[in-house]
Amino acid sequence: MTSPSPALELAGLRKSFGKTEIIRGVDLTVRSGERHAVIGPNGAGKSTLFHLISGRYRPSAGAIRLHGEDIAGMAPQLINRRGLSRSFQVTNIFPRLTVWENVRCATLWALGYKYSFWRNVERLADARRRTEEILAEINLLDRRRTPAGVLTYAEQRALEIGLTIAGDADILLFDEPTAGMSRIETERVVSLIRKVSEKRTLLMIEHDMGVVFDLADRISVLVYGEIIASDAPECIKANAAVQQAYLGAA
Amino acid sequence: MSAAGALELASGRRGRPLATYGAWLAAAVALGLLPRLFSSGFALTTMSLMGVMIVFTLSYNMLLGQTGLLSFGHAVFFGLGGFFTVHMMNVVEGDGAPLPLFLFPLVGAAAGLVFGVIFGAVSTRRAGTAFAMITLGIAELVSSSALILRRFFGGEAGVTTDRTGLVHLFGVTFGPQIQVYYLIASWCFVSAAAMYALTRTPFGRICNAVRDNPERARFIGYNTQTVRFIAFSLAGLFAGVAGGLAAINFEIMNSAQLGAAQSGAVILMAYIGGVGGFVGPIIGAILVTYLQATLSDLTDVWQLYFGLLFIGMVMFAPEGVAGLLARQQPLLQARQLHRVVPFYLLALLPGLAAAAGLSMMIEMTNQLTGHAPDGPAMVFLYAPFNANAVLPWLIAVVLFLAGTWLFLRAARLASAAYDEALATARMRKSAL
Repeated sequence: MTSPSPALELAGLRKSFGKTEIIRGVDLTVRSGERHAVIGPNGAGKSTLFHLISGRYRPSAGAIRLHGEDIAGMAPQLINRRGLSRSFQVTNIFPRLTVWENVRCATLWALGYKYSFWRNVERLADARRRTEEILAEINLLDRRRTPAGVLTYAEQRALEIGLTIAGDADILLFDEPTAGMSRIETERVVSLIRKVSEKRTLLMIEHDMGVVFDLADRISVLVYGEIIASDAPECIKANAAVQQAYLGAA
Repeated sequence: MSAAGALELASGRRGRPLATYGAWLAAAVALGLLPRLFSSGFALTTMSLMGVMIVFTLSYNMLLGQTGLLSFGHAVFFGLGGFFTVHMMNVVEGDGAPLPLFLFPLVGAAAGLVFGVIFGAVSTRRAGTAFAMITLGIAELVSSSALILRRFFGGEAGVTTDRTGLVHLFGVTFGPQIQVYYLIASWCFVSAAAMYALTRTPFGRICNAVRDNPERARFIGYNTQTVRFIAFSLAGLFAGVAGGLAAINFEIMNSAQLGAAQSGAVILMAYIGGVGGFVGPIIGAILVTYLQATLSDLTDVWQLYFGLLFIGMVMFAPEGVAGLLARQQPLLQARQLHRVVPFYLLALLPGLAAAAGLSMMIEMTNQLTGHAPDGPAMVFLYAPFNANAVLPWLIAVVLFLAGTWLFLRAARLASAAYDEALATARMRKSAL
């Protein structure tokens, strides 16, 4: 599984909306197999960075390399098929489909069923097995017949994670997976993320410093569209620039 | 729990052929026996048309209900399917090639698919409002071509054919309407089964995902444009089958069949029946076709009533007839239905009175304006009176206003009774 090139590499990445430059020359390396957190104050451009990596936005300049291949400006589905899957900060599910259908839909492409309109979806044993596994992992097996739109907030957040991991991508991007959750729910999500990111590469945005220092192998600090530090957690804690720009201010 | 759940999932929906295919078996038997119950000429003609419209409406719901695509030009594929079928029948008749009539809907299918691919390649590049506008443009384009390409579309008169002129297998001439009914019923059954099967494929489920949240669908690996394109093409195919059946049924196709009114009719049927599930469009097609056949004999402003019905459904029952029925399902299961039915009847009576009052006003207005030379004397609900007298107007207004007021009050009571019964039903279910 180890490749010579890093799992994800951003080089000179820029994004402007009109005259406002939100991402101002980001260089970032995410090594294969590491858990990497992006932190930074509100409005630093963390979500914009994720939208660029996942193909929702087109970069104004710079390169995004996924296992060495430039994916900058590619459509989201093409990036997803190359093994990068993301979650959303605001829950982004299929509200009228049942929990079961939500997760199963997310397994189909990776299992090679694509646009198949000649197979009975109920007879796909591998899709069923995979969906069961995911639902067991996100603890929604007994809610499988419920339309996703009527789940509780915490359940929808869990489903959001389920959709992200169902396609068996090797790089996972989580955008504030614990936002708005209670202490207990947060702990559950952290252990879930720890589990699903084993043998995978994880890049996450998180505001909860407890979660960040608990999970991350390395941390990058984004301030006003620039990475001011990218290092191991203990070094980030000790970094004077970070303390001044971010941690100290908090 | 999870082990038992997994076990249930593994065995679920399999190994119970009657539960899976029971409804289809019943539908096949019903289609076979219906002409014995309703054997009049009018019934056979109406049921044949229903079969055509069921296929057409189901094909439309592949777009609207399944994929979330509002098309204003679906009749294009119905009409083109029909025209190609008529021309092919005429060619084969002149040619003497031994092709039996029941294969000709395939011509419609092919035409529908080809034009679905062509127009789909353009329109499905966009979704939402832009898609709707493009389909409107395509509909206009094809309608206006129909007046220009007169050799193909036959101008105002249309193109006629003779369904009995083809090779006769087993002595079936397709002269009598009953034989055409069975041809349409068979094609309706096969098409409906195929479209239902399609909803249960990976593609069908992804259509639903794209309908619910196109953006997220892209982030699980799907090109939403491709999904829309395939759905559009296949919907064109089945609309073409319906058009081919219509051509065989009427033995004539004209440009009205691919025009805006026909595209509007299919939206009406799908919406009145309910676009949320598979059965809704079938109910809508049957109901609207029946009303069209009967209302047009009773009044010449029948289209006005359709407009009112459509507005009423959109406002008060956006899930359609099927949605209203589906809401009774949990009550039926928990044996709570008897608690709400009296309230429904209580609302129905003033509702009918209000409808009668409104209809009376419409008909009197029509008598005084549309039939002015015939004078004010008219008959409404078997009662003769003069449309320019005060008393009938007074009666109509009172019926309408009092009926509406009582209906709204009764509807509130019914709604409260429904909520209560549903709460009881849920409690019993969770107690199990």
